[in-house]
Amino acid sequence: MLMIRAIVRPEKTTEVMQSLLDAGYPALTKVEVAGRGKQRGLKLGEVIYDELPKEMIMTVIPDADKEFVTRAILDSARTGKGSFGDGKIFISPVDEVYTVSSGVKET
Amino acid sequence: MKEVMAIIRANKINQTKKALVAAGLPSFTAVKCMGRGSRPVDFEMLEAMNRSPEDAGEILPILSQGGRLIPKRMLSLIVPPQKVQEVVDIIMQENSTGNQGDGKVFVLPISDVLRVRTEEEGLQAIDEMQQ
Repeated sequence: MLMIRAIVRPEKTTEVMQSLLDAGYPALTKVEVAGRGKQRGLKLGEVIYDELPKEMIMTVIPDADKEFVTRAILDSARTGKGSFGDGKIFISPVDEVYTVSSGVKET
Repeated sequence: MKEVMAIIRANKINQTKKALVAAGLPSFTAVKCMGRGSRPVDFEMLEAMNRSPEDAGEILPILSQGGRLIPKRMLSLIVPPQKVQEVVDIIMQENSTGNQGDGKVFVLPISDVLRVRTEEEGLQAIDEMQQ
């Protein structure tokens, strides 16, 4: 199993969630986060914003579905204007998965 | 080291904390989050079902569509490998109501841990869990 953590624009989360639902991956967790990228935040005139609000979408998927799910997230999270700040996707291994209600180990 | 990440019902957090402290695992990080499972819930349909329980047969299948998010708590503990099973068992025992929406427990590998105060590394940095 793999854990996908996608940090996306807050205004794009509904779209990403809908595309994951349509792709058959409804299960996810969303956390509101703040962060900056390698552009060191955003500078508007004199004001520098170095903590930009983002949302982190976390989902755990089987190894084989990695390409498909990342593609669904990439296509829905991109603004398409080539602007910075569309976010990142991190993928990490998960050793074990349990469902609390049934007590079943799913890996 | 392993990270045990549990996504549980928000109202179960105190009970889980107490059980973990009793087992000698006091340290953890908790985050408020929103989520949905493989069977998302539509609240209007749920209310409709509560009003007229006799229609449950028709409403239940429709309930599983839709995609609204439910508030949850994410609980994360870094533990030595030999403690993983114990922690998972405690979390499952405290949070299991037998209904959908009880949550999930993930076990993830952690490559290193550093304690900021003393710069201790690895297992020493989480030694409060080793008694």
